[in-house]
Amino acid sequence: MRIFWLLTLILWLGPWAATAATEIEISAPGEQTMPLALTSFLAKDGPEVAEIAGEINEVLAADLDLTGLFRFVDPAAFLSDAGRIGLYSTQVDFTQWRLLGSEVLIKGAYTLQGDQLIVEARLFDVINRRLLTGRRYVGRTKDVRRMAHTFADQILKTLTGETGPFNQRIAYISKSSGNKELWLMDVDGHQPIRLTDHRSIVLNPDFSPRGKELVFTSYRANNPDLERTEIYTGQEAKVSSQQGLNVAGRYAPIGRELAITLTKDGNPEIYLVGFNGSIHKRLTNNWAIDIDPSWSPDSGHIVFVSNRLGNPHLFIVNVYTGETRRLTTRGKYNVTPAWSPKGDRIAFTRQQGGSFDIYTIKVDGSDERRLTFGPGNQEHPRWSPDGRFLVYSSDAGGKKGVYVMRTDGTGARRLTSPESDSNHPAWSGRW
Amino acid sequence: MHTHRLQSSSAQFHSDPKIGRLILVSLVLHVLLVLVMSGTWFGPQRRDQAPVYYVDLVHKPVLDPQAGRPDPRPKAKPKPAPVKSVAVPQPPKVVEPKKPTVKVAKPAPPTVVKSELKPDPKSEQKLQSAIDAMRERQSRQAEIDALKQKLAGLQDTRAAAVPADVPVGMPTGTGDEVGVSMLAYIQEVIKQNWALSPYLLDQSRLASIEAKVSVRYATDGKLVGFRILKDSGDSQFDDSIKRAITKSKQLQHKLPQSTELTVVFNLKEMAEARR
Repeated sequence: MRIFWLLTLILWLGPWAATAATEIEISAPGEQTMPLALTSFLAKDGPEVAEIAGEINEVLAADLDLTGLFRFVDPAAFLSDAGRIGLYSTQVDFTQWRLLGSEVLIKGAYTLQGDQLIVEARLFDVINRRLLTGRRYVGRTKDVRRMAHTFADQILKTLTGETGPFNQRIAYISKSSGNKELWLMDVDGHQPIRLTDHRSIVLNPDFSPRGKELVFTSYRANNPDLERTEIYTGQEAKVSSQQGLNVAGRYAPIGRELAITLTKDGNPEIYLVGFNGSIHKRLTNNWAIDIDPSWSPDSGHIVFVSNRLGNPHLFIVNVYTGETRRLTTRGKYNVTPAWSPKGDRIAFTRQQGGSFDIYTIKVDGSDERRLTFGPGNQEHPRWSPDGRFLVYSSDAGGKKGVYVMRTDGTGARRLTSPESDSNHPAWSGRW
Repeated sequence: MHTHRLQSSSAQFHSDPKIGRLILVSLVLHVLLVLVMSGTWFGPQRRDQAPVYYVDLVHKPVLDPQAGRPDPRPKAKPKPAPVKSVAVPQPPKVVEPKKPTVKVAKPAPPTVVKSELKPDPKSEQKLQSAIDAMRERQSRQAEIDALKQKLAGLQDTRAAAVPADVPVGMPTGTGDEVGVSMLAYIQEVIKQNWALSPYLLDQSRLASIEAKVSVRYATDGKLVGFRILKDSGDSQFDDSIKRAITKSKQLQHKLPQSTELTVVFNLKEMAEARR
């Protein structure tokens, strides 16, 4: 009897076990980009203005292309639904978009009443036939690019859970006016405006994490002093004007403090100073040159450049204990470090074979990766606040310019015109 | 006192033969259950074998080509002429050199006579170059023929070495067309429909992220249903999988039987490539 039950049990479990063995593994997606259909925005109530639709499309296409997330479906293949305003999922013919192989769809409409512009934008999931996100922006005609950047940020937030960095600004140094002055532009290089008129030399800007404020070094008082400026009011104030160098000021991500390189005692050392220039702490005390500080996101550590072991290398110092450890061991000239906002990697420049290129390295000194491979020099890397992109300066096209790329080194593109002769970029926080 | 009680109860335990037998039966049942659950009862499972992927870049998998497992193909007769390959899969096409597009004047006798009559150094040069080109073409053709013969010979050797139970659709298989097993076909369809950018995910998780989905197809190739057995913990990854399966809701071919299978989605290949 027992044997009977045992056999019954085995027979019952047999097929189950056999079914469990039917398993297939897919270890990579067939396509590493999401097919996206970006339709032209259509006039809803007011007059049709081709420039508005064109500008929205141009901005969205450029921003979304930079992310590397999407593959654009050729607009020439669009069917009749592209010519219809479909702001609700019930109004969209998803079958057409599915036919074109699209997985996500952007549709939108605008209304122009006098100078007032209303833009309504939608992101649809074609496969599941549902609205993923929708926004309505009200502004003036001149705000059209900003609206498109904001919607690109919203798309990233919807798809990745993290807001994009496109409606932000990039500060940089340009010689457009004849002198090295501080400038500000959109993250796609449009709408550049000059912030300073020192008619001297301005260097090395850094954005305040809390507001629309920048610090930079200016030579207008015949000494490299650290100054700050409020972007909207244009008000400027000196932060540190110690004798000698007051350079490479960097706001702490948390707390009201700046890390700065001073040579007031004769040797470049890293100090922590308040916004009024008062010295809070001397972080390094070494015979060697210690420069270029960059904070960790938790404000607990600073990475900096030192030649204390011979060649310039990156070191990390604990802000509270002063404990210092070496980060880079390869190369002979590693400079301009920038700690990623996610805290896991540090970007820096290395001189090798007569030219500079950008690298990243993990905070523990492992997994070093070279991101740029010439031609020319690639320097001064700085992270976007979401950690997806790096902005840097390069003279690859002859004159120096500001470039942007993904953090794996792909998708590099120039942002500034060759005439602007620009470098030292810095990406703002949330605008 | 307490020790004494334990000893006495132990003695009672040993004195009852029924309890001992019951425990023995229970133990045997447990062992059997463990064996059944672990699958060792039914021999080694597919999953334990290291998967070997054969990627045919030319032929996309098709289900049930011509005749499933084909018979051993007829031996190719030794021919001096270029042999048309019939083995599975078709070998990479030998790129034949393009026929010279520049029309070279054929060394036709009348022309020669003409040139003889009027000795023109230019036309002589032309003629010579045409003869050279022809010779080169002939020697290339001879080389290609020799290579083709060699290739056909290799295929014969390979076909002879193929065991009878090679899965259909594998490069070592035989037959007239490239085929593929049902599982490989479903795998390929879902993979082609799976679109996911690595930039969507936390880069540090690329190597470890994994999700398991159970999918069931009817014999007409229609997706009956699917359920997530184990999610990845990343909503972007899971959403992309759901989209891939939804896109694969209708297979192009009928299946020999209704099929339920577990699909393991991960990014091991992608992580390896991005190292």
